[in-house]
Amino acid sequence: MPGYFDIDDILMEDEPISVVFHVTANGVGLLDPGAESNCVEKGAKVELPFWLAHGLLSLEQAVSINPPPCFTQKTRKEIQADAACVDLRVRCPYFYELGCKIVPLVSDKSIGLFLRYAFTSRYKEVLSKSHSSSMMTVPKFVPRLTKEETRVFESARESMAAFKKWRAGGVRLHKASILGRKRKTKLPDGASTP
Amino acid sequence: MAGQSDPHLSIFSPSEVEFVAEDEIVDIVPNIRMDALNMICGDFGPFYPQVPTKVPLWLAVALKKRGKCTIRTPDWMTVDRLTQVLEAERESSREFQPLPFHYIEISKLLFDHARDDISDAYLVRSLIEDIRDVRFHKVETGLETISGRTHAVKLKNLSAMEVNIVRPFMVRTLQAFYKHDSPQMIQQADTTGSRPTPVTDRGPRRDLRRR
Repeated sequence: MPGYFDIDDILMEDEPISVVFHVTANGVGLLDPGAESNCVEKGAKVELPFWLAHGLLSLEQAVSINPPPCFTQKTRKEIQADAACVDLRVRCPYFYELGCKIVPLVSDKSIGLFLRYAFTSRYKEVLSKSHSSSMMTVPKFVPRLTKEETRVFESARESMAAFKKWRAGGVRLHKASILGRKRKTKLPDGASTP
Repeated sequence: MAGQSDPHLSIFSPSEVEFVAEDEIVDIVPNIRMDALNMICGDFGPFYPQVPTKVPLWLAVALKKRGKCTIRTPDWMTVDRLTQVLEAERESSREFQPLPFHYIEISKLLFDHARDDISDAYLVRSLIEDIRDVRFHKVETGLETISGRTHAVKLKNLSAMEVNIVRPFMVRTLQAFYKHDSPQMIQQADTTGSRPTPVTDRGPRRDLRRR
């Protein structure tokens, strides 16, 4: 869920996006590492963080956005071959969130379908492991999950662990530490504590 | 009502669910004479030795701890009934058998505090564990059928604790699917023709309401 105070939303907007400038921009040479003067030429291909690219696109139509590498045909083929085995975190930890924001900005409308296909097919793998895995060991596929998938996985694992802890029993009421100390100091030396 | 353990997600912790379950009424046989107790939730008693009476589970446990009563095992917590339920659960792969809404919590409280009042306690306990395992496996296989077209899931006869375990996972999953299936995400899906056909075998157990 996007939000002004959502740290994941903020981090997601920092993902680099490749854009093509439609205008010559003066005084922003630091954006383009290959620029010789202090300006970005028209038609130059530059990597910008998503928030800047989005801003430039919506305000001035100054740039056009290329879909990030994690939505290319190569990745799509890999997802189609075996979705659960693809390491999406390496490609983009905010795969789904970024995808959702990119969709209205690019002409390639199949990204939305691709996102849904990827989530649906990877969800099965997450589901089959999440409630049964123990708290001690982390399944092998967890490092391959994106942030969103990890959240789904962790929520299932935590609720199952809480239930198991409750079922195993144990101390239901915890004594405040200060109570134990007070009692000890009051007791005479020889008395055995109950 | 929201749980106190995590105010952001409105998730109940298992002990909060147990707390709710303690309001369930059970039969006890007191061995003391005591006047009626007038509580906000109702009047209980008066208590006479060897005369069965109905009290909430928390009161029964409190009296039992002090050795003032024996708790009568509920009807459903007998070996015969539970064996029947287990068989029925195993036979139908989709439907859940009707059990008390708080059967996991009630049985745990009774096992913890009134083990000597339950006949065949060991067998009853393992039967309840088996039933819970079978039911949870059904929930998991049911969750596999969730797809982008799922907007609500009806789970009949599922108990409080079982719902509580799958709630965070299910809510997050449905949120994600809802997001990925929103019209602006797949706006040109129908024209391209690449949209997969909706899942037809949804399983009669879950009554998935579709848009």
